[in-house]
Amino acid sequence: MTSPAGPGTAARAHGGGALASSGAPPAPPVKRPRAPLAQEPSGVHQLGGSFLQIAATVGGMAVLAGKIAARVATLRVDGAEFMRNLYRMGVKSMPIVIVTALFTGAIMVIQAAPLVERFGAHGLLGWGAGFGTLREIAPLLTALMINGRVGANNTAELGTMVVTEQIDALRVLAIDPVSFLIAPRFLAMVLTLLLSVIFADALALLGAALTGDLLLGVAPAVFYNGLTSGLLDIGDVTSGLVKSVVFGVVLALSSCQYGLGVTGGAPGVGRAVNATVVASAAGIFILDYFVSFTLD
Amino acid sequence: MPSPDKSSPDRPSAGPPSSELRDLAPEASGVAALGAAALSLFRSARELYSVFVSTLYYCVKGRREPGAVLLQMYEIGNKSLFFLTVVMGFIGMIMVFQAGQQAKRVIPDLTMLGATYLELLVRDLAASIAALMLATRVGAGIAAEIGSMVVTEQVDALRMCAADPIDYLIKPRFIASVLMTTCLIVWSAAVSFATGMITAYSMFDVSPETFMNVSLVDAGDLATGLAKCVAYGAAIPVVSGHSGLSTFGGSEGVGWATTRAVVNSSLAVIVLNMLISAAAFLIFR
Repeated sequence: MTSPAGPGTAARAHGGGALASSGAPPAPPVKRPRAPLAQEPSGVHQLGGSFLQIAATVGGMAVLAGKIAARVATLRVDGAEFMRNLYRMGVKSMPIVIVTALFTGAIMVIQAAPLVERFGAHGLLGWGAGFGTLREIAPLLTALMINGRVGANNTAELGTMVVTEQIDALRVLAIDPVSFLIAPRFLAMVLTLLLSVIFADALALLGAALTGDLLLGVAPAVFYNGLTSGLLDIGDVTSGLVKSVVFGVVLALSSCQYGLGVTGGAPGVGRAVNATVVASAAGIFILDYFVSFTLD
Repeated sequence: MPSPDKSSPDRPSAGPPSSELRDLAPEASGVAALGAAALSLFRSARELYSVFVSTLYYCVKGRREPGAVLLQMYEIGNKSLFFLTVVMGFIGMIMVFQAGQQAKRVIPDLTMLGATYLELLVRDLAASIAALMLATRVGAGIAAEIGSMVVTEQVDALRMCAADPIDYLIKPRFIASVLMTTCLIVWSAAVSFATGMITAYSMFDVSPETFMNVSLVDAGDLATGLAKCVAYGAAIPVVSGHSGLSTFGGSEGVGWATTRAVVNSSLAVIVLNMLISAAAFLIFR
């Protein structure tokens, strides 16, 4: 065998005619058995691979959270960028938050309607709708909608910046990407979700009251009485708000992490957007469970 | 040096790619913005309707391609199974826990917990939450795939070959989605009922025999649930295929189309849920 296999092989093959003319004639490259790079892993291997991947992502999010916390604690967050993101994420999401909340309230009442009619518990409708809406459904659905709109957009944006090397450019200019790009987005997203959930709570109750009036003939005053008659307390509202903050943290961390971790050009951005939407939806549900249990 | 005032343009990746061109015109405000929004809503509703109708047409008259449908069934169904199982498992636990808490405040009798939960699950919860999840996963996938085909002009190539992209791209996804959404929703109802049963047993000491009570589920509930399965399964590929086909502006446009697909198909699920639930309540009460 004339072809020496070693670290210098590739360099010499690219070296041009001078080397080739001194040695053997430029024969067609010898087919060396390649290491099976992309053999389809299967079974346990795949399981372990995906586990390691999830662990790496979660660990990356934790590291990112630490960095953000350091910037926030030392107040090194770009204020103008924060306000701009707050506008883009918060104000621009208003329409879908409004639509989602109104329909959510209506759905809660429609689902409760047969039970209410069966037991004749018209006075309890406000309580029933309010309990589910405030504690669970409004934070959950708002977070899911904001995940689709803001989280995906954020990942696409950061990913495009990574692919077009704008983040490296920031580093070259000695601008800290975390305090200029990531921390403002993180704060804006958490605040957006918190405020949207407060807004959605109110609107969902409005939608529920209207639907109750139309569908079941429960006057809004009766609905309001059911809501405030003591079966619901402030703890139910704060429970939903705590959840919204947790969801906001999950959303922001995962969209930033996936956005910064984009590899492979423009198709990579699409893959990252898909992955972040799925991951944050799963994360929202899993954390919802743990938050529900720790709060009660 | 330009001062960083409020009129500084966003980065190119910050929104729909067309906004850069349109920013030359003064930003519409007030009634003008409202009217523009209404017009664009009306236009996209009309486009959606036409995509839906031609999808139905090609389902009947189009090419027969079981291979493509099977591939999409694998993509939509099998690949969502794990995700849906995790999410619906947690939803089951959360819902039973919250419902138990709620019931304990008025009547300390939890024997009907399982029956009520099962009724709610069949009628609404399983279909809606699972469809929201599918809108996220499947919708984003469909829009990203078709959108990148649009951007790389493969869809134009299809049109040049006198092949309607709706027949080639959306119809297989439509059929596959209607079938697999129904299967996935039935599976996710089973998963969340099982985890709910475990939660009720461990948190509230409701025995599985008591929890497994199908007395409240009647034909109306089943019909409502099935109608929802079919409606969501039809809506998700149509809405996200439409936003994939209307992609413009290069690779950033694909990201934007993905976002729009997720948002619009989730909204479609919520609106359809409201409509079907209200209709079912009025019919079956």
